Amino acid sequence: MARLFSPVANTIARASLVAAVAVPVGAIVMGSVVSRSPANTNVGVAFDQPVPFSHAHHSIELGIDCRYCHTSVTKSSSAGIPSTETCMSCHSQIWTDSPLLEPVRQSWAEGKPIRFASTGEVGWNRVAKVPEFVYFNHSIHIARGIQCNECHGNIQEQHMTAKGKPFFMKWCLDCHRKPEKALYVDEQQPDLTPQEKVFAFYRKIQEGAKLSARELALKKGREYQPTAAELEKGREMVQKMDIKVKTLADCYICHR
Amino acid sequence: MEETKTQTGLDIEEIRRRLRGERGQRYWRSLEEVAETPEFQQFLEDEFPNRSSLLDLDRRSFLKVMGASLALAGLSGCRFLPKEKIVPYVKAPEEVVPGKPTYYATAMPFAGSSIGLIAKAVMGRPIKLEGNESHPWSLGASDVFSQAAILALYDPDRGTTVKNRGFVATWEEFLAEARKVLPQAKGVRLVVGDVASPTLERQLAEFQAIYPNAKIVRHEPVSRANVREGAKIALGREALPVHDFSKARVVLAVDADFLASMPGSVRYAREFAGTRRVDEENQSLSRLYCVEPAPTPTGILADHRLPIAQADLEGFLQHVAYLAGAASQPGAANLAPESFWNGLAKDLRSAGAQAAVVVGDACTPAAHALAIAIQAKLGSVGSTVRYVAAPAVRSDQRLSALVTDLESGAADAVLFLQANPVYSSGLGERLGKAIGKAKLSACFDLYETETAAACSWYLPAPHFLEDWSDARALDGTVSIVQPLVEPLHDTLSVHSLLPALMNRPSEPLAEVRKTWAVDDKTWRTWLNEGVASVPKAAELPVPATVQAPVGRSRRVDGFEVAIRPDPTVWDGTFANNGWLQELPKPFTKLTWDNAVHLSFSAAESLKVSNGDVVRVTLGERSVEGPAWILPGLAKNTVLLHLGYGRRAGGRVAEGAGFDVYPLTSEDSPWGGVGARVEKTGKRAVLASAQMHFSMEGRDIVRMGTMEEYRRNPSLKPEHAHGEAPRDLTLYSDEEKRREQEGVQQWGMAIDLNLCMGCNACVTACQAENNIPVVGKDQVQRGREMHWIRIDHYYGPRAGDGSGDNPTHVVQPINCMQCENAPCEPVCPVAATVHSHEGLNQMVYNRCVGTRYCSNNCPYKVRRFNYLNYQFAQKNFDRKEDIPLLKLLNNPDVTVRGRGVMEKCTYCVQRINAARIEAKKKGRDIRDGEVVTACQQACPSQAIVFGDVSDPNSRVSQIKRNQRNYALLGELNTRPRTTYLARVTNPNPEIEA
Repeated sequence: MARLFSPVANTIARASLVAAVAVPVGAIVMGSVVSRSPANTNVGVAFDQPVPFSHAHHSIELGIDCRYCHTSVTKSSSAGIPSTETCMSCHSQIWTDSPLLEPVRQSWAEGKPIRFASTGEVGWNRVAKVPEFVYFNHSIHIARGIQCNECHGNIQEQHMTAKGKPFFMKWCLDCHRKPEKALYVDEQQPDLTPQEKVFAFYRKIQEGAKLSARELALKKGREYQPTAAELEKGREMVQKMDIKVKTLADCYICHR
Repeated sequence: MEETKTQTGLDIEEIRRRLRGERGQRYWRSLEEVAETPEFQQFLEDEFPNRSSLLDLDRRSFLKVMGASLALAGLSGCRFLPKEKIVPYVKAPEEVVPGKPTYYATAMPFAGSSIGLIAKAVMGRPIKLEGNESHPWSLGASDVFSQAAILALYDPDRGTTVKNRGFVATWEEFLAEARKVLPQAKGVRLVVGDVASPTLERQLAEFQAIYPNAKIVRHEPVSRANVREGAKIALGREALPVHDFSKARVVLAVDADFLASMPGSVRYAREFAGTRRVDEENQSLSRLYCVEPAPTPTGILADHRLPIAQADLEGFLQHVAYLAGAASQPGAANLAPESFWNGLAKDLRSAGAQAAVVVGDACTPAAHALAIAIQAKLGSVGSTVRYVAAPAVRSDQRLSALVTDLESGAADAVLFLQANPVYSSGLGERLGKAIGKAKLSACFDLYETETAAACSWYLPAPHFLEDWSDARALDGTVSIVQPLVEPLHDTLSVHSLLPALMNRPSEPLAEVRKTWAVDDKTWRTWLNEGVASVPKAAELPVPATVQAPVGRSRRVDGFEVAIRPDPTVWDGTFANNGWLQELPKPFTKLTWDNAVHLSFSAAESLKVSNGDVVRVTLGERSVEGPAWILPGLAKNTVLLHLGYGRRAGGRVAEGAGFDVYPLTSEDSPWGGVGARVEKTGKRAVLASAQMHFSMEGRDIVRMGTMEEYRRNPSLKPEHAHGEAPRDLTLYSDEEKRREQEGVQQWGMAIDLNLCMGCNACVTACQAENNIPVVGKDQVQRGREMHWIRIDHYYGPRAGDGSGDNPTHVVQPINCMQCENAPCEPVCPVAATVHSHEGLNQMVYNRCVGTRYCSNNCPYKVRRFNYLNYQFAQKNFDRKEDIPLLKLLNNPDVTVRGRGVMEKCTYCVQRINAARIEAKKKGRDIRDGEVVTACQQACPSQAIVFGDVSDPNSRVSQIKRNQRNYALLGELNTRPRTTYLARVTNPNPEIEA
C-alpha cells in the first residue's frame, strides 16, 4: 500500500496546530493594535483642509485667544467653528493676495461656505470627533478649568491641525473617575477662576512665561502623572467645586 | 403565526355574565380581557407575540444561525471612524449659538381658533412645539394637534410645487392664467374654512371689492355654527361662550368634551384641575355631571355620567331648564331616574353663580339657547361663563349653492383656500364633478387633497412655521404667527396669493403688519410675547331672563348615528400625520383606523363582535366599516369618526379607515336618527393597543368616592398588599443610601384625579425623544414604540349591572425608574444600570437585544426596535438629497437603531442641560428647572417631576399626599413614579 502521507505531512500538521492558535490570537492582537493605532484613531494625522490653517501661527505667534474663533466654547456644547466673516475680519486687511487664502475670499465673495479649491468639496475635514452617541459639552469642562490641551494635545504647536488624543471611552472615564488628576491651580496666578485659568495658560505659553512641569506636559500634549501632593490639592478642588464624582461616571452623563 | 392576527369573536352574553359576577372593585381594560379570549391570553403571556422562536427551528438551521451569529458578533463592532465635514457659516447669525436651541413665540391656527406656542429651533430648524405660558389659551400646555403639528412641516408628502392638471407648473403660470380669467369670470368663488386670521379676513373683503362677483363660501367640516346660532336665538346675535371653570363648583357637561377636544380645552383643563386637587387641607371638590351619547375624555373624569342619545339631549336640557326655573315646560323627565334630577337640580341651584353648563358643538342651536337661559337664571353668566361677540364668519353662499352654481355655470372660477370639501362634505362627489366645468379651479393646500385632484390647479401652501400670519383665539386674543424657517418648498403665503390675484403683489409680513398698524417696538413686543396687546372680543350683556325655544327629544327609530371629529386626526386635516395615526385613541386604543362604535347592547342584538364589518345606513346613504364595541355608548347610538377613508392627501392618509362624510349633510353634519346597521359577513383587522402591555389584574388603579376617601385617605383596597416593607432585604440599605447621598434624586408623581387621557403627553414624548412611527402591521404585533402610554380601565358603576355604562380610569404609564429595578439584574451585558440620581439608565450601545429586561419588567414599559424604524424613514423621502424627516430629530437624543431596547429616560437630555447650566453657576438644579416633555404638555398639570430628596420640592410635597401610592408596590420595586389615587365626588343623594 502506498503511503498516504509524505514525511512533510508531519511538519504541516505541527504547523497547522501552531497556526490554529497563532492565527486567531494574532488576528485579535492585530485588530486591537490597529484599532488603537493612528490608522484608526487618527491621532497625530493631519487632514487635508481647504486652507492650511496653522494654530501655531495664530495662537502662539500672533497671540489670538481661542475664543476669537471658537466663540461658543464657554457657552455651549459645541466650541463653534469660525465663519468666513471671522477669517475676513483680519484677512480683508492682511495677506489679501495670498493664494492660500483664495478659498476664504471666494467664500466671502460668493456668500457660500468655504470649499476645497481643488475638488470643490464643501467644508473643513473634521479632526476631533466623539461618536454620535456621546454628548460632550465644552462649556462645562472649561468652566471646571479643564485645559483644552487635556483633549486636544499640543494644539498651540500644530501647524496642521491633528487630533491630540484617541477619545477612547476608557480615556474619558479615567478623568471622570478621578477628576483630581486634571484639576489644578496656577500657582503664579492663584486667584483666577478655573475658566480664566484655561485661557491665561495660553497667554503664558505665548509670552514664553515659565511653565510648571504639569503645564509643560500639557503644552506638549504629553501624559502627566501628578504628584501625591498635587492629587491631594486636586481632591480639595473637587470638594470646593462640589463635583459629585460618583455621578460623573454614570452612563447618562455622556450617553442619552 | 398568521392565526394570531385574526381577532376572535366575543361572546357578549358570557362577558355580561362575568361582569355581573364580579364583586367589588374589579377593573378591566378590554372586553377581550373579561372574556379571556385566546388573543388576550397571548398578549398576556408574551409581551411581543408573533415572533419566530428558536424552538421552531430544526437543528440544521439552528446551527447555521448560531454559527453565523458567532462569526459576525465581534465584527459588527468593528469599523473605522467615518470622515465628517464641518461646514461653517459665511456670516454667523447673531442669535444662533451652535448647540444651543433658540425659542420663538408663534401660534397654531386650528379650526377657526388658535393656540399660542413656543417653537424650539436648533441651528435654524424647528424641532419641537410647546405651549406659550403667556398665551391665555395655552398657559404653557398644549394638545395632541399642536404637539404633532411639527411633523407636518417635514412631511415628505407635502405638496412641493404648483401643478396644472397633474403636471409641474409655476406660480407665474398660474397667476398669469388667473389674472386673465378672473376679470371676465361670471362668478368667482372662494371656499375657505372658519378663518382665525384677521389679515385673511381683511384680504377676503378686499378681494370682493376688486371682484364684485366674488362670493365667499364657508366650509368647516367640524364647525361651531350651532353654538353661534344658539346664541343668536337667545341673545339676538352670534356669540361664543367663554367658560371659567376655576370658579365652577358644579359643572354640567352636555355632550361637551371641554377637557380635551372643545376649542379652549387646554385652558379649561387647567382651570378644572384646580378644582379637583384633594389633600388633607383641601377636601372640597367640584362636581362634574356628564351627559353624552358617546364617552369622551371629559366623561372619564365625570362624577356622574349618563349615556343619553344625541337626539335626547335637547329634551334633557329642557328638563334641566325646567328644574332650574328657566323654562315653564318640563322636558324629557324619563331620561334619568328621579333621584338624578333632584340631585342635579339641587346642586345647580345651590351652586348658583358657581354652576356651569357646557354644551357641545354637536348639540342643536336650541340646546345652546337653553344653556344660556339656564345659566342666566342661575346667575352664573359673568362668573363661570361669558358670552363674547363671535368674530364675523361671513358666508355669502352655502356649499350646496356653490355646487348648483358650478353646475349651471353661474360660477366659473373657484379657489379653495385650505378647504377640502370634495372629501370633507356629503356633497363631495357632485362637487368634484361640478368643479370640472369651471374655467379656473385651484386648490391651495398643504397636501394634494381630493379637492386638488378635482381642480385643474394645485397650489402648495406653506406650513404655519414657514409663514407670517395672525390668528385669533377663542376669546379674540390675537397672536402673530411667526415663521421659523424659510419655506422648504416652492410655496406662496395665502397673504401673498390674494394680493397677487388682485394685481398688487405684496409680502406676507407687510400684509400682516398692514392689518396691525403698530410701531416697530410694539410689534417686536408682540412677537416676543406671542400675544398682541389688542382688545379682545366684546362681551355681550345677557339679561336675567332669556327666552329659549322649547327643547324636544327626537324619537329614535332603530339606531341613531353620532358623527364626531376623530380624537387624533380630527376632520381629516391631520390624516397624513403618522404620530397622530399611531396615537391610540381614547377608550378604544385603536390606531390607524376608525370604526363603527356600537354599544354593548347594540352589539348583542346585532350579534356582532369587534372587527365584523357592518353597514350603517342613514337615509339613502350608507357606509361600511368594522365594528368596535365601546362600553359607555348610549344604547342605540352608533358613533362614527370623521377623518378617515382619504382618497388623496399623502401615503399615510390614503387607505386608512373608511369615509364617514357621505352620511353628513349641510343641515345635519353631526349625524341623525333612523339609521340601520347590518352585518355584512366580512371581517376586518384593526390595530388596537388596548390589550398590549397588560399588567394582569393587580391592584393597579386606586379609586374611591369622596366619602371613601374621608374614611380611608390612601384608598388602598382592603385586600391589597400595599408597598413591601423596606427592611425585607438581605442587603443593607446602607449601601444604597450612601450611593444616593448628596445627589439629587429624580422622581415623578401623577395625579389620577386630573388625568383624562387626552394623549398630549404621549405625542409630546414622541416629538421630544425621536420616537418612530411603526405602522399598523407592527402595532398589531404589539410593537408600538411610545415611551409613555395611557392605560384605560373600565370599572363597575353602581347600579349598572349590564356593563353599558362603566366607570373609567386612565393611568399614564412610563418607566417607573424603580429603585430596585427588575430589569437591571437580568441584563447579561449591563446595558441597563442605575445612575446615582436614581435613573434606570438604558445604554443603547451596550444592548444586544436579548429582551430579558422587558420580560422582567412588571410595568411593561420597555420598547424594542424590531426593525430599523428610524432609518426606514428614508424610504419615505422622495428626494434622497433632502432627508426631510431627519431634520425633525432632536439632536440631544440618540436615534435608536434596530435590535436595541429603549424606554422613558425622564427626559435625561433636559436634566443634563439644566445640570450643566446650574453647575456653571456653581449650584445644584433648582426645583422646576427640569420639566419633562410629558409634564410640559399636560394641560391639567397632572404630572409633576422633580428632586425627591429635597423635602421642599413640589414633587416631594405631592408625594406626601395620603393618596400617593406606588404601582405594584408589593413587588418591592420602589418605583420613582408614583400615583395619586383618584377621588370622585358623586352626589350622595343620587341613587345610581
